[in-house]
Amino acid sequence: MEKKALIFKVSALVVALVLALIAGIEFWQLRHYKETIVASEDLTEIKWFSDYVPSLKNTWMDTPVFIFDSGVEGGTVFVCGCPHPYEPASTMAAYLMIENIHVEKGKVIIVPRANYSGSTDGMLGDAYPKFFHVSSDWGITQYRIGDRYTNPLDQWPDPFTYINYPSGQNLAYQDIRNLNRTYPGRENGTLTERAAYAILEIIRNEGVDMAIDMHEAEILYPVTSTYVAPPTVLDREKFLETGEVVYYEPERSSLDVAMWAGMTLSEQFLMKYSASPKTLHGLSHREWADWSDTLVFLMETPEIFIDKITGPRTEALMTEGKDEFLQNVTDKGLTYFPYEMDFGTPMWYRVGRHLSGALEVVLDTAMFYPELECICSWPTYLEMKEIEESGKDSVGAFLKDPNAPENKDRAFTIYYKPVGDNYDKYMK
Amino acid sequence: MVFFENVIHILYFVMAGLVGFSMCKSLFRRKKNKGFVFDAMYAYCLIPFLLRVLYIK
Repeated sequence: MEKKALIFKVSALVVALVLALIAGIEFWQLRHYKETIVASEDLTEIKWFSDYVPSLKNTWMDTPVFIFDSGVEGGTVFVCGCPHPYEPASTMAAYLMIENIHVEKGKVIIVPRANYSGSTDGMLGDAYPKFFHVSSDWGITQYRIGDRYTNPLDQWPDPFTYINYPSGQNLAYQDIRNLNRTYPGRENGTLTERAAYAILEIIRNEGVDMAIDMHEAEILYPVTSTYVAPPTVLDREKFLETGEVVYYEPERSSLDVAMWAGMTLSEQFLMKYSASPKTLHGLSHREWADWSDTLVFLMETPEIFIDKITGPRTEALMTEGKDEFLQNVTDKGLTYFPYEMDFGTPMWYRVGRHLSGALEVVLDTAMFYPELECICSWPTYLEMKEIEESGKDSVGAFLKDPNAPENKDRAFTIYYKPVGDNYDKYMK
Repeated sequence: MVFFENVIHILYFVMAGLVGFSMCKSLFRRKKNKGFVFDAMYAYCLIPFLLRVLYIK
């Protein structure tokens, strides 16, 4: 080999290694960044997905489950945050609930990062920031944006076609890593299916009466700014015995509650309702209701960051949601949300919607079915709006400083395994 | 099934390592396409396999 050619080859290799190092540092930071939250004083217990599905232990799909039990008999509420990590208002709403919740009657169970693995990378082929920032009186905190799917580092390869279990429905190949396409999951399935199964096990074993799944959606997607709830549920016994698929109207209807909640919230913001179709499987609003006895509500806020026709995907697009292209499209009547660029779809607005949307469902369920009453509180949309009008970041205003001495005993690092001593005090 | 899932997953990492090694070998010793452009291509294409084997991306 000529000396000149060898020098070029070695140089090319060195350049590639330097590029790999630069990229690797960024990817490593995203993968291993740890968020810390301060749980409210009402926290009674912490479990993990691996308590329900042991094979998840020490995998990147294990995640903490925060339980707030009032000790007074009442309804049990389950709140699922971060099923799709690139919809981060869902995670932030769960964090704000955990930090500020007060439960007087019944029990509230919150999972802030349901797909932990998916929060540790970004969407393939989409260039966007790794983090967004929230400012509080005590400092600026960064949070991951994440992916829609489980990280391929943790679950790979994908099949040519994904077949949902047990419905047998064919879905896109990558949906095998989509938590909200793999319900009801399998105890011995893929990593994502096992996480889905863990969530169903939480709902079944903890006697959950109301299950709330928090998402965000493009405004070019009809089911944005919407509650989705099932009007009918599967006859499980018949299906398991004969394989026959028969749906019936349950005694308690989550769609009735969702319709009422949507109407009540209309004074604050647009909240539509939609019936979960019988023929679309793998989603929480179908499978949670089919494979447990809980009332199910999926909530979607408008997140223009994931619309495909926006300008550059910057942190401002995530936190402020202002985009001229979507304004043009809205002006032509092609979106499903009354988008106004001057206001945008800011993070506080989407977080506030989730907080009030979830609380309204809990209140209205108690009105329809008094035996399921759960009395709890957390920050609301109107409270956040008032803070925003005073010029402060209302998301940050409700976050507590994990380094403050009074909060140190209840500061929890969100990771795929317990970090620090605080978890030990709450894990039975 | 969980066991086989794990085996397939590990095999995938082994394959990523073998492909990366093969590319590195081809960078320095190959019979066809001996131009500088192909040197740069082989070196650049190593990056994803390297990051995968190191469990970074």
